[in-house]
Amino acid sequence: MTLNLLTLVAFVGGFLGLIALAIALVRRGELHLGPGQMPDDRIVQHADGAESIDVYLDRMAAEMRLPAGDTADIRAELLDHLADSIAALEAEGFDHQAAIREALGRLGPPVELGRQLRAAHQTTGRLFAGAGGGVLAAGGGFLLGYIGAAAAGFVVILVLALAASLVSRLGIPTPNLSTPDGNAVGNGLYLTFVLAAGAAVSMRFAVRVSAGLGRRSPRGAAVFWTVAGVIVFGSWAVFGIRGQQSWVGAVVAPAVPIAAAFGALYRIDRPMPHVGRWALVIAIGAIAILELGYGLLLSAGVTTSGATFEQGASQPDFHFDHAAPIAPAAWLPAGAIAGNDYSETGGIGHASSYFLAASPDQASQAPIPLTGVLAGWHDLRFEAWHAYPNWEPNSPIGVDTSYPSPFVIEPAIVNGDTLDAGFNFEKLRDGRDWWFFVTGVGPDGNRYRLSDGHGGWTPFNGSVWDWITAPQ
Amino acid sequence: MQGKIRAQLLKGTTTLLVLTVLRDGELYGYEIAQRIRERSGGAFVPSEGSLYPALHALESAGALQASWRDGDRGPRRRYYKITTAGLGLLDQHAQEWVAFSQGMGLAVEGAKR
Repeated sequence: MTLNLLTLVAFVGGFLGLIALAIALVRRGELHLGPGQMPDDRIVQHADGAESIDVYLDRMAAEMRLPAGDTADIRAELLDHLADSIAALEAEGFDHQAAIREALGRLGPPVELGRQLRAAHQTTGRLFAGAGGGVLAAGGGFLLGYIGAAAAGFVVILVLALAASLVSRLGIPTPNLSTPDGNAVGNGLYLTFVLAAGAAVSMRFAVRVSAGLGRRSPRGAAVFWTVAGVIVFGSWAVFGIRGQQSWVGAVVAPAVPIAAAFGALYRIDRPMPHVGRWALVIAIGAIAILELGYGLLLSAGVTTSGATFEQGASQPDFHFDHAAPIAPAAWLPAGAIAGNDYSETGGIGHASSYFLAASPDQASQAPIPLTGVLAGWHDLRFEAWHAYPNWEPNSPIGVDTSYPSPFVIEPAIVNGDTLDAGFNFEKLRDGRDWWFFVTGVGPDGNRYRLSDGHGGWTPFNGSVWDWITAPQ
Repeated sequence: MQGKIRAQLLKGTTTLLVLTVLRDGELYGYEIAQRIRERSGGAFVPSEGSLYPALHALESAGALQASWRDGDRGPRRRYYKITTAGLGLLDQHAQEWVAFSQGMGLAVEGAKR
């Protein structure tokens, strides 16, 4: 058994273990949140005075603020006590109404009794048990909701792909969604959907478990978990998750904290039916679907990582002159800029243009001092221009001539035999397809392009907040 | 006046009385109150309003275990059973009470002279 397989087994086992623990906690909590005991029918069937007893117990229950199951149990226990007490008093000679008044009087003020019973149930130990159990249940519930929604979404996507394939075979044109923009939108919607499902299940589990174990009313616990869920899941959705983004993804991101609040509040007093059965089936089924699905996709040769794409500068008409005309040979010897390079480290793109000796011995590629080559030039800078998307089959290539100016301008910094500048294309909303050039103002006072530059594409990589606040 | 003094003396002893009567077997709430009254010869009549909070607090602390059961000839009732932890608590309370009552007895005897 390889280490990777062991890691996978531990990973899946850990997930299932946490889900199973959450389910066990929910079932434990539901014991206190269920319907509770039926009231003593000796009192209920006795119309005379039952109303005053109900009023007394209602006032007591309102003060207790305990889960429904516990409240019902206490009501049933006190009704049982009252039935015995009333019967004994009647045997002593009290009439029925007087016996009820006396029996209720012996229990004391209902508000005081409710307060004392609440203190007896809502102990500090149970508060911690509720909080700890709620956190564990939130984790397991999130995993359950996440993988359940991921598996459901996966199946839906497969069905849609199959349907699209059939439709296209019939000659009906279908929209091309396999574009970087389409992928970013699709990924954003899918991720929001699974996160929202996870957040909703997480909060529902947390509220029910913390209310049950902490002996609080679910509505009271829901207030705390709603605030916590909106903060945690909202922060995660907007600031935490990084990757390709789109305006659609940014718009739907608030669905995650909204789903958390919905899960915590919507009909939260209702018992969770048969959590043990369906939850385990969903968990195991979802993992099986995802594992088998990914296995099939990978065996079909589909990669899950992004691809990089670069184009050389030797293709005809890349519209470079749209950025600036090439420098006259008299002012910049041919081949002076021997190449351009672009690399990304830690999210920061690094652009450079390197110079070679402008001499017959150019083959030696010995570096030359920049001062000699660039004498008479000033205001040297790197310009990043929008490029046509190179993934479209019939699209023009090279610099996108619909943009009148570069979207990023960085001063060129002399660094030995190269000119350098830092870009951060991956934090630019509109900078996915780009082409950069070094330009400078020549001896005649006009700006020229010093070389054919360098092109490529860099998808946006950041959080929703990065996307919203990113410069164009 | 006598009842008021007795109620004040009784205050704080409910736990000891409940654990004492439950040491002999399972009982439900009303029975517990009756049993305390009988065993004390009517000297102690615990307030019914403080009995149930005490029972539930002892259950929360693990000193009692409660369960709903059908009565022998009546409706379902909530029966309380003392646990091992409850027996330990009873010993502790009983020792404290004996020491307290002896000290109080000496003090009161001194006041009589």
